[in-house]
Amino acid sequence: MADTPNTVSLTIDGHEVTVPKGTTLLEAAKTIGEDVPHYCYHPGLSAPAMCRLCLVEVEGAPKPMPSCVTTAADGQVVHTQSDLALSRRRGVLEFYLVNHPLDCPICDQSGECKLQDYVHQEGRDHGRSREPKRVFGRDDFGGDVLFYGDRCVMCTRCVRFMTEMEQDSRLTVVERGNRSVIDTFFEEGLEGTNWSGNIVDICPVGALVSKDFLHKARAWDLEHTPSICPSCSQGCNISLHTRDNLVQRLKPRENMEVNGWWMCDHGRANYEWMNHGQRLEAPLVRTEDAVRAMGWKEAVGALLDRAETTSGSVKAVVSPFASNEDLAAVRSLVDALGGGSMVYRMARADAEVPMDGFPILARRRDLAPNGRGAEIMGASRVGDDDGVGGLDDVAGHDGVVIVLGDPLVDQDASFGQSASLFAYLGMHGSPATGAADFSLPITNFAEQEGTFTNHEGRVQRFWPGLRGPGAAQPAWFVLGAFQAARSGDPAPRSAADAFAALAASEPALAGMTYDDLGARGAVLNETVSVPGG
Amino acid sequence: MAISVKVMERPEPETTSYLRAALSGMALTFKHMINPQKVTQQYPEEQTDLHPRWRGTHRMEVHADGRPKCVACGLCPTVCPANCIRLVGGEDDQGNRYPIVYEIDEFRCIFCGMCQEVCPVEAIHVGRHFENAEYTRDRFIYDLDRLTHQEHPTTLLWDPSDPRSE
Repeated sequence: MADTPNTVSLTIDGHEVTVPKGTTLLEAAKTIGEDVPHYCYHPGLSAPAMCRLCLVEVEGAPKPMPSCVTTAADGQVVHTQSDLALSRRRGVLEFYLVNHPLDCPICDQSGECKLQDYVHQEGRDHGRSREPKRVFGRDDFGGDVLFYGDRCVMCTRCVRFMTEMEQDSRLTVVERGNRSVIDTFFEEGLEGTNWSGNIVDICPVGALVSKDFLHKARAWDLEHTPSICPSCSQGCNISLHTRDNLVQRLKPRENMEVNGWWMCDHGRANYEWMNHGQRLEAPLVRTEDAVRAMGWKEAVGALLDRAETTSGSVKAVVSPFASNEDLAAVRSLVDALGGGSMVYRMARADAEVPMDGFPILARRRDLAPNGRGAEIMGASRVGDDDGVGGLDDVAGHDGVVIVLGDPLVDQDASFGQSASLFAYLGMHGSPATGAADFSLPITNFAEQEGTFTNHEGRVQRFWPGLRGPGAAQPAWFVLGAFQAARSGDPAPRSAADAFAALAASEPALAGMTYDDLGARGAVLNETVSVPGG
Repeated sequence: MAISVKVMERPEPETTSYLRAALSGMALTFKHMINPQKVTQQYPEEQTDLHPRWRGTHRMEVHADGRPKCVACGLCPTVCPANCIRLVGGEDDQGNRYPIVYEIDEFRCIFCGMCQEVCPVEAIHVGRHFENAEYTRDRFIYDLDRLTHQEHPTTLLWDPSDPRSE
């Protein structure tokens, strides 16, 4: 309240609002659900107050104030929707449309464009400008970025992002007045930058668009699913944008404790594998004479029969792309079959790629989302920094061999030939998986619900954005059904069940539930480090 | 309750003549033979005069050089209530956005004409045409080539003689 020194109370549109000292009027208005139109202001960047679109009326002030830089003060009375504020903002919007081409039908931003939104919200319904518009054409900025100068509203978010966040000033404003335009220096462009894809996200209009996404889908056709970027152990919060059961692009999702509003170009571009068509679609079981496709019930029954008669220790190869629930299911299977070892392989980059303006964010060295989770489940890392090799003792093992998710592309057909039982739970077949007694199709992270544990031990949930192919099921579901049939306990019915069982058995995750994790994640109780990281 | 039955008396055959009724019928027939006022339309020799707002088979307008006018904005598949338009956009060698695939399933189409109404570049139209019978089902999926080569007149969005629909 007003009597405590660190907050101020003011009135916005008739609502009494109490906010921390130093809060801008624009942020204060957000707390009552009032989104004041703005272009140049972005919560992650400095506010130059140059777009003049966030004007609001403050009682006692001689003229409308830009709400993005006006700090809230005690007793202020602010009107964001008064006639004065609306007429000023309408005037500003009309000036934006003097030069903005109305090429919405061919603009990729159409449907998620702030100029469209604001003009619909409070702009004039007809333009009055009769003068010809300025024409710049389009420019290839390098990297994944294409620049349509005509559409630019000169908010300079992109210039400030490159200067303040990436801290590599590749963009600037050239010329003056209505000829001013964003440009790169010489022929250098954005080539070689690591975070420049973010300027496409923060561009409020269609001036900066992604080459990869160009003309691919309309914004309103895409479904958005909250997920976690699987390209490194940072665990950036992302949205899968999907259409026709295919991932069309990845966009960052705000999480101030992990990635802010940003994600790296490496992660952004690395999504085609989720749409991979050559998938295992039905459980394949080796019988005396042939490999036969079976239904799940039959296949799990056959696996039960085989598990009764096999002997020898268990060696499991798991993937750091598997969720915590899947890894825990493999661990409990290893324990149930008499115990053994678990290993995983993970590609590792030469160096971290930090984002200088947001120090907790970097493209980490570990190029998989859940190496930390695999460590917690007791797996140890083998192989080299390309994520290959290291499986010599598993390949010739004469006991039970279980492989989860690792497609074994570097192994030859002799892998697992001498095993008493070789079960492969994966998405794709390869020469090495041909010897498997059981090839069971499982879903990838984009097709199932689950959690990843990132480099700092933050457990974060992801949600399914795609339908899995054929009969593919999550590994925790398959192995849970197998364990339930063996022990008579109830099988996990949902990923939340599987996670609850994991939290009950693993001290590092004790007390966590899906509800507590929410969309933001929570940090592990104890630290587990990835060796060599 | 007992059912009461009324017994009808038929006229005797020898005393009944149908000639009078037959003659009056024939008189009407011969009267129509010489009557110039015909109501039957002699289709297909004589074609129907379709209303200017008749909504029938689609066609796509083209530029002078033969390129379709469509810019693949995606509004027609979005607005289509029957979900009968399939569109894949792309970019041609001049940097123009254009439809790589544009298909209309005339079987699914309900001829509401909303695709024509929503089109920002007046490319797709429904037409004043209804004779679209085919021998095979797959011929009812009209691709871009077929749509651009249709020759029938396009539908008008309003009747020029009554623009306000009064």
